[in-house]
Amino acid sequence: MQYRRVERLERPGTYREQGARLDIALRPAQFADEARPASILTIATGSNNIESLRDSSGKDVPIVRLEPLLIGSIFPIHGEDRIVVTPQEVPPLLPAALKAVEDRNFDTHHGVDPAGIARALWVDLRAGQIEQGGSTLTQQLVKSYFLDSRQTLGRKLREAAMAIALETHFSKADLMNAYINEIFLGQDGDRAIHGFGLASQFYFGKPLAELDLSDVSLLVAIVRGPSYYDPRRHPDRARLRRDLVLKLMAERNIIQPADAQAAAKKPLGVTAKPSGTYYPAYLDFVRRTLRRDYRNEDLTGEGLRIYTSLEPRVQDEAEHALEHELERLDHAHKYPDAKLEGAVVVTSPQSGDVIAIVGSRNVGYDGFNRALDARRPFGSLVKPFIYLTALESGRYNAATIVQDEPVSIKLVNGKVWQPDNFTHQTYGPVPLVRALAESLNLATVHVGMDIGLAKISQTLQRFGLPRAPAEVPSMLLGAIDVTPMEAAQMYNGLANGGFKTPLRAVRAVISADGKTIRAFPLQVTPVASPETIYQLDRMMEQVMDRGTGKPAHAVLPPNLVVAGKSGTSSDLRDNWFAGFSGSHLAIVWVGYDDNMPTGFTGSSGALPVWARLMASLGTTSWNAPMPESLAQAWIDFPTGFQVDASCTADATPIAVPAGTQLPMKPGCGAQQSNALESIVKRAGEWLRDIMH
Amino acid sequence: MKGHVVIAAAAMVLLLTGCPSLRAPPPTFPESSRGSAGTAQPPPAAATQAPPEVPSRPPPKQYRLGPASSALVAQAHKQMTSGDLGLAAATIERAMRIEPDNPLLWIELGRIRYTAGDAGQADSMGRKALALATGDPQAQSSAWHLIADALRALGRNGEAAEAERRAGSLTAH
Repeated sequence: MQYRRVERLERPGTYREQGARLDIALRPAQFADEARPASILTIATGSNNIESLRDSSGKDVPIVRLEPLLIGSIFPIHGEDRIVVTPQEVPPLLPAALKAVEDRNFDTHHGVDPAGIARALWVDLRAGQIEQGGSTLTQQLVKSYFLDSRQTLGRKLREAAMAIALETHFSKADLMNAYINEIFLGQDGDRAIHGFGLASQFYFGKPLAELDLSDVSLLVAIVRGPSYYDPRRHPDRARLRRDLVLKLMAERNIIQPADAQAAAKKPLGVTAKPSGTYYPAYLDFVRRTLRRDYRNEDLTGEGLRIYTSLEPRVQDEAEHALEHELERLDHAHKYPDAKLEGAVVVTSPQSGDVIAIVGSRNVGYDGFNRALDARRPFGSLVKPFIYLTALESGRYNAATIVQDEPVSIKLVNGKVWQPDNFTHQTYGPVPLVRALAESLNLATVHVGMDIGLAKISQTLQRFGLPRAPAEVPSMLLGAIDVTPMEAAQMYNGLANGGFKTPLRAVRAVISADGKTIRAFPLQVTPVASPETIYQLDRMMEQVMDRGTGKPAHAVLPPNLVVAGKSGTSSDLRDNWFAGFSGSHLAIVWVGYDDNMPTGFTGSSGALPVWARLMASLGTTSWNAPMPESLAQAWIDFPTGFQVDASCTADATPIAVPAGTQLPMKPGCGAQQSNALESIVKRAGEWLRDIMH
Repeated sequence: MKGHVVIAAAAMVLLLTGCPSLRAPPPTFPESSRGSAGTAQPPPAAATQAPPEVPSRPPPKQYRLGPASSALVAQAHKQMTSGDLGLAAATIERAMRIEPDNPLLWIELGRIRYTAGDAGQADSMGRKALALATGDPQAQSSAWHLIADALRALGRNGEAAEAERRAGSLTAH
């Protein structure tokens, strides 16, 4: 947020530290639901916590909002982002400096300035190089608006004619404001930095109004050649020119010479990296949300404010995790020339807020948005929905024995489908929880065929799959194409206790005069019973503790409870990992754009990205309360027998409907002394379970 | 310069530092009724008596609102009184971002939806609250009352009566 540390609080955007006490001059802010004037906040800190928050009159403040971060602007015509500033938001020094340096006669000329051209020519001839351009600010504006930058006489003449035309139609104040909002001031990858408002964020990470003399002079210096005077790449050049701007301003009596000298002593003050406030993939999602409700013409209303759910810190962590892990995977990889791609979606499950979207490892690039547009096979991410449908049938629980054995299914077209396990082994009778945790294909196909494809299709659509999948057996292994965002919508229901919440990026659209034009209120729809979801989520917890998600625990904070599922499509073309904690759901997809096999699985490809991201969020454990109609039981993970929790290292907790009788492991049961009779009875039930 | 739309990131309590300590301390105390399953550690022996164990119910909990949520709920009530239901709902949603698992907030939001004539959402929010309120008879009862009102508004009188009965039975003891 770039609050500046000062000795005495003077203006918004500054703070003062005095021992354990922090005084902050909060900036004024417009929120979706209220406006807040500039105000003083005092924070008293303890050793590693906050003791109190008080306002300037010493009253306790129960809640403080930090001002919304401006993350971009949508210009339907240009399709580019800007931070448009009004004349009131411009430090008065800026227009004065621009005139002093770029266009001395701006206030009096009619668009072109013959005297200025002559002077520039004279200066340049003497210097033997171009030090001054003869173009007026108006001409520069025309050039930036309409024309290409070829230096031809014809272009110069057209530019001059248009500048004169502009001058007859607009006031000098309007032209200055247009200039300040339009002029090119830098390049950030594919993104052009236009206007001083955006440039201020780009170089200094703070609003234009808060820039001091040295900062303003640097921006004015950059006008002459944003690439040549790039303060990050060529700080020495930039500094020389900034100091020249300061000198010129002092010469023209805009500032005192002493102030110029003091400012010239200051470092450039630019942030090391362009402030990470450019999120093209997220903006893309926002734009699409709005396009659903608005025609382009309606979006052109000036000054609409759109409040989003983006959490910049989570977004930065998601970008970082993807970039870092893909870099590592590329190195470990068999195709040295091909670059892996990826996408990440992070939500806040209870609210359905989308808080981060990464559409490519090249995060600043406004190109193909994989999070929204890469439609890839769901792979094993489909399995939780199959197992949920099984639990809903009432015929299965987490300890139910299922057969992981070869299967042949005759298809409608006469062919025979013979799926295989990932390991090419079979595991025989296994409890349902293990089949899910180890992502056993054959067991899943047996369960799925028993439950019925139609029922599973309904479950998928209830959770948000937007299309009816082809009801073919390969659907059970994830032959359903989904985008990462669709996967996020579906998993959000699993993370949110069986309640579907439409994912949203936009909270509200507010008009220039502060009225809510469109709100996107929270909506919930129950799509599964709390009981079945709880049983499933506990099984997905075992994916992390004993199954394909296990490597994540080496990275995650100790004792953090998470639930998830890995996914790999055929020939390892797509790597997925979807998982959630108590407060975050993250979906990660990794693969090649041309659909080449990746050579690794969801556990080795997408899981490291997911784990690294989750570890960085300071997230909370998944800790839903167990519904009263369920009970916890401990079973032997390999066999599904009920065991005493302390009897074996394989003892695994599951949730089952209260009163469920489970067969006990001989010599390891919780109640061996109880009754032989009951064991015999339960063994009989168990055998019946196996048979059906 | 015509026609721009400014996009602002959400006004979140903690945008600046992401420092969780700025947040009012979470006041609710629903402790996990199970051990830390993340490490699959065995529970104490006492908990393994019945197969499958029906855990002896912990003493009833009582959800409360934290100071930040309390302030926001009070603000929402004012907004409701002045007839601005949309604003009131947005205020409760702010509180939910701080305490997403607090059933009392879901009941508040459900009440606002009910007042706004959206009985379907009121019913759903009541059920969401109910799922979160496990172990807190008071909150469960409030949730059932909300569900009963919503069902009645939907013309499902039989189910409404049943919901009302459950609400009553929870507060009886």
